[in-house]
Amino acid sequence: MKQILIFLFWLLIAVVAIALTIVLGERGAWYFAWVLGTVMIVLIAAAGTAIIDARYEEHHDDQY
Amino acid sequence: MQELDTVIELSRLQFAATALYHYLFVPLTLGLSVLLATMETIYVITGRDIYRQMTHFWSKLFAINFALGVATGLTMEFEFGTNWSTYSHFVGDIFGAPLAIEGLMAFFLESTFVGLMLFGWGKLSRGKHLLVTYMVALGSNLSALWILVANGYMQNPVGSVFNPDTMRMELTSLPDLIFSPEAQAKFVHTSIAGYVTAAIFVVGISAFYLLRRRHIELAKRSFRVAALFGVFATVGVISLGDALGFINGSAQPTKLAAMEGLWETAEAPAGFNLIAWPNQEEKRNDFEVQVPYLLTPLVTHTFDESIPGVNDLEADAETKIRDGIPALIALQTLRENPDDAEARATFDAHQDNLGYALLVQRYAEDVSQATDAQIAKAAADTIPPVATVFWSFRVMVVTAFLMMAFLILAVIYSLRGTLHRHNWFLRLAPWMIPVPFIANEAGWIVAELGRQPWTVYGQLPTWLSASTHSVGYMVFSLIGFVLLYTLFIVIEMFLMVKFIRLGPSEGKHESPAEPTSQRHSSQWSEA
Amino acid sequence: MDPYILLKVTWWVLLGVLLIGLAVMVGMDMGVGAALRYLGRTDGERRAVINMIAPHWDGNQVWFILGGGAVFAAWPTIYATAFSGLYVVMLVLLWSMIVRPLGFEYRSKLPGERWRGAWDWMLFVSGAVPMIVFGAAMGNMLEGVPFHFSWNMISYYTGSFISLFNPFAVLCGVMSLALALYQGGAMVMNRGTGVIRERACRLVTVAGLAALAVFTICGIWVSMMHGYEITAGGDPAGPALPLNKTVETASGAWLANYGAHPALWLIPAAVYLAVLGGIAAARAGLSHLAWWLGALAWAATLVTLGTAMFPFLMPSSSEPSHSLTVWDASSSLGTLGWMLAFTAVFIPIIGIYTSWAFWVMRGKVTPESIAHDEHAY
Repeated sequence: MKQILIFLFWLLIAVVAIALTIVLGERGAWYFAWVLGTVMIVLIAAAGTAIIDARYEEHHDDQY
Repeated sequence: MQELDTVIELSRLQFAATALYHYLFVPLTLGLSVLLATMETIYVITGRDIYRQMTHFWSKLFAINFALGVATGLTMEFEFGTNWSTYSHFVGDIFGAPLAIEGLMAFFLESTFVGLMLFGWGKLSRGKHLLVTYMVALGSNLSALWILVANGYMQNPVGSVFNPDTMRMELTSLPDLIFSPEAQAKFVHTSIAGYVTAAIFVVGISAFYLLRRRHIELAKRSFRVAALFGVFATVGVISLGDALGFINGSAQPTKLAAMEGLWETAEAPAGFNLIAWPNQEEKRNDFEVQVPYLLTPLVTHTFDESIPGVNDLEADAETKIRDGIPALIALQTLRENPDDAEARATFDAHQDNLGYALLVQRYAEDVSQATDAQIAKAAADTIPPVATVFWSFRVMVVTAFLMMAFLILAVIYSLRGTLHRHNWFLRLAPWMIPVPFIANEAGWIVAELGRQPWTVYGQLPTWLSASTHSVGYMVFSLIGFVLLYTLFIVIEMFLMVKFIRLGPSEGKHESPAEPTSQRHSSQWSEA
Repeated sequence: MDPYILLKVTWWVLLGVLLIGLAVMVGMDMGVGAALRYLGRTDGERRAVINMIAPHWDGNQVWFILGGGAVFAAWPTIYATAFSGLYVVMLVLLWSMIVRPLGFEYRSKLPGERWRGAWDWMLFVSGAVPMIVFGAAMGNMLEGVPFHFSWNMISYYTGSFISLFNPFAVLCGVMSLALALYQGGAMVMNRGTGVIRERACRLVTVAGLAALAVFTICGIWVSMMHGYEITAGGDPAGPALPLNKTVETASGAWLANYGAHPALWLIPAAVYLAVLGGIAAARAGLSHLAWWLGALAWAATLVTLGTAMFPFLMPSSSEPSHSLTVWDASSSLGTLGWMLAFTAVFIPIIGIYTSWAFWVMRGKVTPESIAHDEHAY
């Protein structure tokens, strides 16, 4: 039961996302660009920081 | 008339002061909320406690800033009514809608979840707390969206029509209003400018710690995430700034002419005024340095379109005023007798330029008696103060590119891990913190001063928009706001600087020690 | 029925809902602020009291901001006329209210006794003054405000600002403050323990009885005061222009609606029942029930006012025919419709996440529990 509810929740999110994409893509190209741009900025900043963190694991405090 | 002018000027001064002051705190809220969400995302994904401490520390500074944003925002929500009552009646049917939606959709979201974000650390699971932080970020940016939809209407009034039966503009299409290109470009530009503001704020303070070799683990990661975050954001801000200029060009030619210091219509290929000293009295630039050929492609995104200058725009305004006068006269007749078919026909034929007739009413109470000199004076009014707009625009552009260069360097040094070799950069970084604030305020001056003499472009002149207060009331309220707000900013800066100097209190508190953070605990000991 | 009339009445009801939400939620936090120095004697106790509302005051305050936005959208003529006419009152309201976020956020950031003492007084002022102003504004609406319009709908206010603080208005302000103190006391009883809870219970009793006394006096006053009635024009389906009707004043006219429908007397009766029941519940230790009965008392008070005035919203004492009514001060059909759609979608969503927020932060707050919590105010 819980699985089905979780599935339905994500299904709902997906439907909303698709509807939003259609409406925004049609009439609000800049709004759409903002959504994509913000997601991209957040993901790149987060992933970049985390990856570098992993790579510099062995380095010490005095290097930054 | 003298007293009316003074009241208008004082009302403008008060609105500008309270709005610019409010706008000192807003961009940081817009950006820092998203940046906090980014930091917390890394914490939730990697599970490293250092990122929890980071989110923590920056959310403390966020809260200090947020309180003043909320406090000064209260004033803004009511100031249209208190000081611009004619404006509020004239366009309230349209302008009020996005403000109400802002409350429903954004303020409740932001304000309810900000309490959970700050106080819910021990009471929510990691995933739920992250969701809460994202809701704060979404809420604050949605509030920017709706207030800029409202502002977009003032810049480019779409989706509405004047109704002579109610003596006001009325909504014809909410979707037109929401999706107006002006509103869209303004929102994206403003929101992302907030990201840049927050990025430079975090980079600057982190550099301050790194330079003093304090809180290095926290500072270097904050520096890195903010630099990466900011560098993409500046690219966004600059490209949207260009788009906004392009949209302005068609919707508000007078603003564009003022921004570029264009007195004569510029036939392609026109030169771009890099520096100029505009002289509004004599309608020329006392001095100018041009980059040839640049202006036409920059503004029109073509190589052959011309850009109207001040002189032609003034002549155009004069035609519109003469065309609008019959509409205003017919409107007066309609007020006395709503069934007068002839007056209604006249009104319908001329109503597009009703706003221009209102401009001349400032000089001729009875517009049917307006002289040529009065009409020419009203036409000259349609040009905003060129020098201020011109220079504010240049300040914004120069600071934008400065910030981009700074953030590119920040990313390079930080990714290579060579920051410790560039002490000059670390020393410079805290001094960059005020730069985005200057750019934000300059941007508002371009947008709002460049819209003058209108509150709603082409529809309602500023001189007619204010409440009918006495000079005494206006002086009283202006002094009150100045005193109160000065006191506020002194307290805010004092607390901000104090907490920055105090720094993050890593490890001192009940950190729910996790396996990963244990592994790195040796790194917490500071040099 | 004409859809425009239906929408106007719907938005009149929603205006009432908004004012009730504002009075209950913001009033509660303001009551806590105003009574802070009574409820908490030591710094630890005061911090405990503040932290009971710390996670929610900001969300609650949105009722006030939404009030501004929704009146702007649905009743633009009211927004324009009332806020500019009551200029000095609005300034007093805004200036006292904008100190409040700083009071909550900054008070406990520094340890100094004088620093915290000063902010405690700020919280007192920013709790008591706005509630008095809120009540006084309602009182002024009953009495009528001196304003008129020119042919092109520029509004002129012709009274002095002192006249806005006349005895009746101030009495209404006291009523509003008393209900806010009651509500704040009930809230502190919910989340407080020991001596703080005892003081809060005393506050609920005293404030509740004071509210009833003032409510009775106001009621008698209103029955003798000059009310307003539309005598010609004022077509409910007509355009939103408040210049085409005739209005006359008559002593006791505000009771006309009650005279026509005697069942309406149940509304003011509900104020007495709710407050007395609430005091009894509080003294029996049922603080949640006391809170909800307090909310009911607020609702009944504001509905009593709205019922007396309907269809008037803001009568003009100097030019009665320019009075603003439900029929001629609203937005256009389109705007009312769009706003109703947004409200219908978002109010349930707001209800869900606000309840969730209260649920997450539930539980008692004591001086001991916050002493070691670095997130607390």
